[in-house]
Amino acid sequence: MNFKLLEKLSIAFGPSGCEDEVADIIKNEVGHFADEIITDTLGNFIVKINGKREQKMMLSAHMDEVGFMVRKTDDLGCIYFHTVGSISEGALCARRVTLKGNDGIKYKGVIDSKAIHSQTAKERKEYIPTDKMHINIGASSKDEVDHLISLGDFGVFDSDFVKFGNGFIKGKALDDRVGCAVMCEIIKKIREEKITPEYTLYFAFTTREEVGRSGAITATEAVKPDFALILECTAVADIPETPAHKTVSKLGDGVALSLMDHSTVYRREVIEKMMALAKNKGVKYQIKTLVSGGNDAGHIHKTAGGVRCATLSVPSRYIHSDCSVIHEDDYNSMLDFAYNASLSKELI
Amino acid sequence: MTEFLKKLMLTHGVTSDEGRVTKIIEDEIRPYVDEISYDALGNLIALKKSKSADAKKMMLCAHADEIGFITMFIQDDGLIRIAPVGGIDFVAYSYCTVISSKGVKGVIAPEEGTKPEELKADKFFIDIGAKSKKEAEKKVALGDMFTVIPHMTKLSGSRYCGRPFDNRAGCAVMVEIAKGLRDCVNDVYFVFSSMEEVGLRGAKAATYNVNPDYGIAFDVTDVGDVPGCKPMAVKLGDGAAIKIKDSSVLCDIKLVSSLADIAKEHKIKHQFEILRAGGTDTAVMQTEAGGARVGCISIPTRYIHTQNETIDMKDMAECVKLGTLACNIRL
Repeated sequence: MNFKLLEKLSIAFGPSGCEDEVADIIKNEVGHFADEIITDTLGNFIVKINGKREQKMMLSAHMDEVGFMVRKTDDLGCIYFHTVGSISEGALCARRVTLKGNDGIKYKGVIDSKAIHSQTAKERKEYIPTDKMHINIGASSKDEVDHLISLGDFGVFDSDFVKFGNGFIKGKALDDRVGCAVMCEIIKKIREEKITPEYTLYFAFTTREEVGRSGAITATEAVKPDFALILECTAVADIPETPAHKTVSKLGDGVALSLMDHSTVYRREVIEKMMALAKNKGVKYQIKTLVSGGNDAGHIHKTAGGVRCATLSVPSRYIHSDCSVIHEDDYNSMLDFAYNASLSKELI
Repeated sequence: MTEFLKKLMLTHGVTSDEGRVTKIIEDEIRPYVDEISYDALGNLIALKKSKSADAKKMMLCAHADEIGFITMFIQDDGLIRIAPVGGIDFVAYSYCTVISSKGVKGVIAPEEGTKPEELKADKFFIDIGAKSKKEAEKKVALGDMFTVIPHMTKLSGSRYCGRPFDNRAGCAVMVEIAKGLRDCVNDVYFVFSSMEEVGLRGAKAATYNVNPDYGIAFDVTDVGDVPGCKPMAVKLGDGAAIKIKDSSVLCDIKLVSSLADIAKEHKIKHQFEILRAGGTDTAVMQTEAGGARVGCISIPTRYIHTQNETIDMKDMAECVKLGTLACNIRL
């Protein structure tokens, strides 16, 4: 796997609706490999690679990450915020963040709230609600903070990209920069090995997945694919005190193939074709064993007259936090599976 | 119609796995239509063309899928953990016998000691009689769909209980319409849609593909004639229910009036339906692909989404009469 690329993508600033920085990195990495680049008003970035046949396969990964939006500043220079996408209140307090303020300048900040010393006995037992947390960027008055930040400005977690232990990786926004990185690697590999894929490939780097997936809808309308493979990052609970049937998948056991999630019931024929492909190519994978979450497939499969879809996800612990954790083997397994899928002759 | 309905009822077809059901419908409807196709989501689309030069597109839509359970995890002890597919009332489904699409039978049960208010999906498992994971895996694969064992049982008069009348009843009505439909001013698309029970997903794609001017759904609806039910005017046996609204759609007022006028003129026994909770394919036909004028002809049904949904075949016959004439609606 290309650690440098994933690191670059992970630390990039790209909350839903503000994905340009991520799109620029991707453009620099793989834009020159495209037979055609398609962009649209929602910010989707789509790389087309011509194949032997006209039939269209779309690979899709979303560029956006969960983050924050400035909703109010106060006399003390504190910034009240909304979350962009879903973030547990437990994952917010005392975290480092980056805000992109006036003129696109980035400011470091921390999320603060009442210290444990000042909390009542009741407050100590509960998550502090987002309404009572604020971001401190080191400003001490309303005038000062308003000079730097405007209402509606975006923020993201500020988190280093770290390799640790035996193949583990920690960072922010791994959901879904892993999908973006894998797609970049596939594009490069196809070009470097001078392969003409069977189907015409569209690599759709989509926007706004975390806030309702509008990017995936317009990307699907633009491409009208015959088959779509969604590359995602999924929650996993292979942690203590979780019964076996609720662990979803296991870190290190390979990329997870979805049967059903809250947005899609995957068609059996498609799942069987994916399984056959994996068996054929000796790809390591696991089945996602709990119905949880949803992804761009939810909109892709019912848009533009319907699309056959499959989803592959890298399992991630502590997803939607500043320290999501994935395993290198799962990333490589997604790369292996998706690469073979992109060159297959049997999926459409 | 009763025999064909029974055949449909006894055919396994949980959401996303409707192929067996649509195949039976395809074989039955083929002599009566001009074109047959399937789309990417498994919707069966059968077209009966009009001879009229200015034919418009009338889309009739009944969903072919039924609610059920998907196999998500096989435990070391051979018990199977499942997730609900569609709106499952686990109180109604506790300790039912179930069957997989491959014909494997089992019992669906909650964990011992589960309180009534905790009867949710994560407490349930299916016991197929396997003593180990290894034994279970020979019969069931992850992703296999289960349903409560289907049946169709005659009650007093023209009433039947069984499942899944939702919505094989609608499918049977549409097939009957196709059989009886003569020269029509509209091109009539008979759509047997997929994945309705998880959010009208198949019909959304089918509507895009058909791009109709008018849409009429055929589905079951709740009734207000059993003890303790919410106030609702629809009664079992009082005829075809012309939908005015449900929680997913406000039907097109002109189309509703037109259906009512036809019913009155032809002395078709009918009633009006305002459904508090529940959505139908009608909603996506209204909004997809630029929009269409839509309505829905509903089959009154008691105990929907249980193993003993109950209908009256006389209502079914009225739905067929009204639906057949409705194919000629021009607004």
